[in-house]
Amino acid sequence: MNTGKRRIGVFICHCGGNISDYVDVARVAEAVAEEPGVVVSKNHMFTCSDSAQQEMIDDIREQKLDGLVIASCSPKLHMFTFRGMAERGGINQYQYVHVNLREQCSWAHTNDKTGATEKGIALVRAGIAKAALSTPLTALRVDTTPKVLVIGAGISGLRAALALSDMGLSVFVVENQKEAGGAVKNWGRMGPDNQLGRDIVRKLLDEVNTRENIMLYTDAEMVEKSGYIGDFKVTLRIGGNETVNLQVGAMIVATGFDPYEPKEGEFGYGLDGVVTLPQFRDAADGQEGPLEYNGKPVKNVVFIYCVGSRQKKSAACPAPNAYCSRYCCNAGTHMALCLEDRPGDLNQYHLYRDIRTYGHNETIYEEARNRGAVFMKYADDDAPTVEKTADGLVVKVKDQLLGGEEVEIPADLVILVTGMVPRKNETLMNLLKLPVSKDGFLNEIHIKLRPVETVIDGVFIAGSAQSPKTMAESVGSALAAVSKAGGLLMKGYVDLEPLVAKVNTDKCQWCDACLKACPYGAIERTSCDGKEVALVIQSLCKGEGACVPVCPYGAIDVEGYTDEQITAMIDACSREVVSA
Amino acid sequence: MPKVSPKLASAVKCSDEFNAEACMHCGICTAVCPMGYEILPRKLFRYVQIGLEDKVREHVSDIYSCLLCGMCAENCPAKVNIADNVRFLRKYINENEFNLS
Repeated sequence: MNTGKRRIGVFICHCGGNISDYVDVARVAEAVAEEPGVVVSKNHMFTCSDSAQQEMIDDIREQKLDGLVIASCSPKLHMFTFRGMAERGGINQYQYVHVNLREQCSWAHTNDKTGATEKGIALVRAGIAKAALSTPLTALRVDTTPKVLVIGAGISGLRAALALSDMGLSVFVVENQKEAGGAVKNWGRMGPDNQLGRDIVRKLLDEVNTRENIMLYTDAEMVEKSGYIGDFKVTLRIGGNETVNLQVGAMIVATGFDPYEPKEGEFGYGLDGVVTLPQFRDAADGQEGPLEYNGKPVKNVVFIYCVGSRQKKSAACPAPNAYCSRYCCNAGTHMALCLEDRPGDLNQYHLYRDIRTYGHNETIYEEARNRGAVFMKYADDDAPTVEKTADGLVVKVKDQLLGGEEVEIPADLVILVTGMVPRKNETLMNLLKLPVSKDGFLNEIHIKLRPVETVIDGVFIAGSAQSPKTMAESVGSALAAVSKAGGLLMKGYVDLEPLVAKVNTDKCQWCDACLKACPYGAIERTSCDGKEVALVIQSLCKGEGACVPVCPYGAIDVEGYTDEQITAMIDACSREVVSA
Repeated sequence: MPKVSPKLASAVKCSDEFNAEACMHCGICTAVCPMGYEILPRKLFRYVQIGLEDKVREHVSDIYSCLLCGMCAENCPAKVNIADNVRFLRKYINENEFNLS
């Protein structure tokens, strides 16, 4: 490409003094003024200000610019600001190049003003080299189907389905169990307000059944998935044989959690009288009158907290669950109140590491203590032990309030307050290709700012499939996923970044190296002029570029980051190094 | 090793008199006590709270030599009524150790 004919504008920002206190911005503007293609090189106090943007638009029009470089802050802050400005001025937004002088020069090199300035000049030169090879690109517009597939019919999935239905979207809910309702469907009293879990699920299910635009499939699983954001094609297998084909614009994955199953011998698990909290709840929720276990009255109950959570790596535990499961302290202290409410006099001991009953649940913890439940803190590295003796179960614990003195508690029942672990579902995970965190839960894009979106556009996550959550938190995340899915589908179309891979069909010899390298399944084999070549499904491609270096024929480039552009950028910023 | 006595634990739980739940183990009670006991009140009450009857019995003489002057309760930042707790203990010991009632 003949770069000499390009007309590039370069604008260097002071950022008040954020940049100009350390980088000699006037020198940068002067040093790059003679670069090939540059017709304007100026400074602005704040390039993001309204007036500076207007002046740059005037420059674009008067100088008939066809490339733009702005050297200012991080692209995370203002790339979209300047892309919009470029379009308003009449330049294609992908012919604008953002250079980061603030984070990468002034803030990084406060002790070396000359060095910061030289680095700034080199980076701006690289930006100019890239702009000189830029081509106009058009966003990929994809029509969306106004239907959503919700995977999992627990609290999160059912609540999400109702909210999507309220928006007027059609909803399919797929549940792999024979009965909908998820983990909570048989639960009794739940904190903090004592509503029955089973009643809440019943109400949601009754409401779902009245909705004409919700279709619930139980005993069903996804067996095939193809397509992309706005237009997924999914096949479900129902009851083991019948199949259903669906077309949906988005998916919400709300597959929930599994309760932690202690290992044999872990805190005495396996001994008669040692049970997990979920097992105990199943048994106790249906009982009335004084508490009994195996037909015998229960006088002393010992709860042990943090079972299966906040584990440390050891020989006995090579793959620890390092996280806190959030709900267990709340569930354990709430169970203390449920036991106190029963007739009979019962002593309860709660052995904990730290109590985390945040928000409303703090009052439950306080009430449990006031009503006589004894809480004893044990050290992280000195956990209680549970043994079977001739007189029954005995729990030994070193009480921190007694300075670590060991105490023996005879127990009729030991309840292990277990946490949540990721639910295993390999078929689904292989189909969806969703990344998981190091804990094994589904991963969001950004833990704070984009908590329900995934790297697969159009696929959202909700509830405890993402991380341990209480019911309220699960519903919150389900509704967040609904608003993201709804926002996407109500518009009718979606514009995608065109910075994706493209195949040179002349060079391509179809060897499938790119197909194997692509983590998003965005490469397909196709036929072009009688020859087999690779095809990039643009709506699936993330422009990540894994396919580029593995291609033995140099047939793939990523738009906006072509080999030619990257080489030119390296040449431009390393000119002195190379010539010296 | 001290062992929980369900009997003491239940007695403590059912009692309106004994209450050390709010104790934050600051030790002001010890600082202001004119008797200078070897056993710290906060430790004694923790034994009681858990139901460690053997430990309580080891300290019977301390429990009976308390002057019930109330300096401790007067100064307790958590408003634990320490003198009432001692009265509860004396009553429990009278009934269970000395068979008085």
